[in-house]
Amino acid sequence: MSKTQETEGEERKIVTFTLGNQMFGIDMRALIEIREWDEPTPLPSVPSYVKGVTNLRGAVVPVVGLAERLGWAPSVLHSRSCILVVAIGQRQAGFLVDEVADIVVIDSADIQPAPDVEVSEQSAIAGLVRIERRTSDASHSETMVLLLDLDALSLTRHIMELAA
Amino acid sequence: MSDELDEIQAIFFEECTEGLTIAEEGLSAMAAGDVSADVIAGVFRAVHSIKGGSGAFGHGALQAFSHRFENVLDEVRAGHIPPTADVTRIMLGAFDLLSDHVAAAQSGSAFPDDAAMLEQLDAILASKGAAIEDSIPAPVAEADEFGFTPVAAVVEDFDSFGFEPVMVDLDDLAPAEPAGWTVRFGPSRGAMANGAEPMLVIRELEDMGGQVMGVDISRLPGLRDLDPEDGYLIWTIVLPATVDEQAIRDCFDFVAPDSLIEIGRAELSAVAPVADATMPIAMPVIEEVERPALTLVADNIAPAVEKAKADVPGQTIRVDLGKLDQLLNLVGELVIRGSILSDRLSPTDQERVELPELSRLTRQIQDNVMSLRAQPIRQAFSRVPRMLRDLMAETGKQVSLETTGEMTEVDKGVIEKIGDPLTHMIRNAVDHGIESPEERIAAGKPAEGTIRLSAEQKGARIVVRIADDGRGINRERVRAKAVERGIIAADAQLSDEDIDSLICAPGFSTAETISNISGRGVGMDVVRSNVEALGGRLEIHSVPGEGTTFSMALPLTLAILDGMIVRLGKQRYVLPLTNVIETVQPAPGQVQATSPTSEVIELRGNYLPVRRVGEMFGLSDHRKPEESLVIIVESEAAGHVGLMVDTIDNRREVVIKSLEDNLHPIRGLGGATVLGDGSIALILDIDALVVATGFKSALKGMAA
Repeated sequence: MSKTQETEGEERKIVTFTLGNQMFGIDMRALIEIREWDEPTPLPSVPSYVKGVTNLRGAVVPVVGLAERLGWAPSVLHSRSCILVVAIGQRQAGFLVDEVADIVVIDSADIQPAPDVEVSEQSAIAGLVRIERRTSDASHSETMVLLLDLDALSLTRHIMELAA
Repeated sequence: MSDELDEIQAIFFEECTEGLTIAEEGLSAMAAGDVSADVIAGVFRAVHSIKGGSGAFGHGALQAFSHRFENVLDEVRAGHIPPTADVTRIMLGAFDLLSDHVAAAQSGSAFPDDAAMLEQLDAILASKGAAIEDSIPAPVAEADEFGFTPVAAVVEDFDSFGFEPVMVDLDDLAPAEPAGWTVRFGPSRGAMANGAEPMLVIRELEDMGGQVMGVDISRLPGLRDLDPEDGYLIWTIVLPATVDEQAIRDCFDFVAPDSLIEIGRAELSAVAPVADATMPIAMPVIEEVERPALTLVADNIAPAVEKAKADVPGQTIRVDLGKLDQLLNLVGELVIRGSILSDRLSPTDQERVELPELSRLTRQIQDNVMSLRAQPIRQAFSRVPRMLRDLMAETGKQVSLETTGEMTEVDKGVIEKIGDPLTHMIRNAVDHGIESPEERIAAGKPAEGTIRLSAEQKGARIVVRIADDGRGINRERVRAKAVERGIIAADAQLSDEDIDSLICAPGFSTAETISNISGRGVGMDVVRSNVEALGGRLEIHSVPGEGTTFSMALPLTLAILDGMIVRLGKQRYVLPLTNVIETVQPAPGQVQATSPTSEVIELRGNYLPVRRVGEMFGLSDHRKPEESLVIIVESEAAGHVGLMVDTIDNRREVVIKSLEDNLHPIRGLGGATVLGDGSIALILDIDALVVATGFKSALKGMAA
């Protein structure tokens, strides 16, 4: 899903969204659906970024505060907060994001590897890419998108490691 | 095509698994002293079909081994070899090796070394007298003395009329020997379409010393009409007389039933009119689905037992478990949608006859689907005997196994998941529990230890017990080890039960030497977490010097739960109804604090501990006890405990959704369910909740 830096020149669709002032992107193929924020059912004994579980067409899916999970300040809920439901391997997870921005096509050759300094032991950032930003304000025409490595965000793995 | 073949292969391996199960049951019965003809024949048939199938799929090593094994079984069946304990023991060993062979063939890995076992089998055959010598298939080399040479078929013309099969006069070639066998074999039109490979059958016959003497191509049409997947040829194969007729017939076990198969004694004078000497019976025989019908002219030696081989085909079908799971999920959805619908309707509409009818039907469907998934727990137990034999060989200990209640039916999902815990516990029992024979005799016990494996249904739970009569848990050593490992404080006051349960603590192992059986210090820890993840409990009961009993109490199903829906703040939780004893509306003063963090409720003169579930889940709203309800629940470990909740919503059957599917199991929760309005309620695991002595710390880090 989140393999990057392969096959030069391949076009990929990514979904971009914001967390605070940063723009992030995930591979379009991993996205299952975007849904409105709905208070999930809280769970005991889970890390604070696991907001709880919600019902996705009969399946019990965890909802993760993505900003917190990545080490940023927790998202403040507002009217445009939404949940990106993604598939990570065989599992599903919902990510709370501040605002979904756009779907853009990028060239995988343009993805730069993330400089893996000072980031925590396993980086969830798979790479950086610059995209044209569709805004009314023409002055900010380009912006940097942090591409997420969904596998690194896998809940099970992270939690199992914590428990170990 | 290869996909189809893979599919057929998969069926073959499934049948192998079934065959192995039957064989093992039979052999175990024989070991236990039941050597009736039925039992022996059952084992023989199972091994025989594995052999037949393996030949058809080209698993040479498996076929060769099962063939030798079958020879011995055949002799035992015929009464030439008495099924003594020694013979049975060797056959059990051979069975284990056969399982390994099947596994190797299935995974494509290296074949197990069977030389030693083959020697043992041959030794049995040899030592039990010359009377059996005849039935051993002649080695291939013997064929030479008959002087057969392959003769190419002379194809004179392709016209389908007037063609005479080319035959060889045996007078010159096989002088003064008893008449050999002549086999005519014509694969049916559909045989190759069904994946049969005539070449393999002929190869098999050649391995027994057979020679292809001719090919009848009279049915071969012109090139224009030729369907390459059709069967037009009839081979004539001659085999030496020393070959057992049964062995020849076995080669055709997996040939489509409408194929032409004629087996007859070759006439010394004239071989050509073979068709006259034999009766062709090229017709499908419905009763004998697995075998082609055979008519034998030379001598009618078909043993009566062979008739029994044509198992009456039961009215069963194989269904992919995934499809069944899908069906169960859909029914679960149906139940949920039904209650959503019901919630939307006005109370008067809810009472109308259609809705109760609908939910009754839905319930029936659900029950039926559940019963489809119910399987006897024997499936989980069946791997134990083999494991014990391996363990006995490794440890030199003697252990006998007693099983009861193996027909108890549980959900397939439960059976699948108790396998690993069961394995660990049996290993532990043999490695740590049962003493060496010398130790046992010194302690005044029989040299052979006993492990009792039992299953029984208790309400909505199944209790699986593994009891050994070994040395029991050495509590002093366990305690010392736990202190040494820093699991408990040196001055901790622990009851015997507490000490026993320490063996389930992570990283605990008292084994003096780390054997390759157990003693890596993960076993019991893993067992407990596995059992709890299933919504079950693990209990240990040990009497020093007399043995240890592990009891697993598991839910009968992992899919549906009868629950009481309770409210805490804005959240709803499900309490399994099986745990609920009564609910109490506390009067002022009935709930009293015994410490700043603990409370008791006075109930008919008894004081029971009370836990505020809201606090445990970080939802503390400091309600007064009088405004709450106390639900008295029964927990296996802590007895009766009161759980304080805000209100009770209702009682309903809920579909259990596992948290593991997308997250991971959480201690204290048995899963989650989707309620009628589409929201999620967490299912409480009462035992894990009330037992967790450090539940405050276990539950901290709660999502706000």
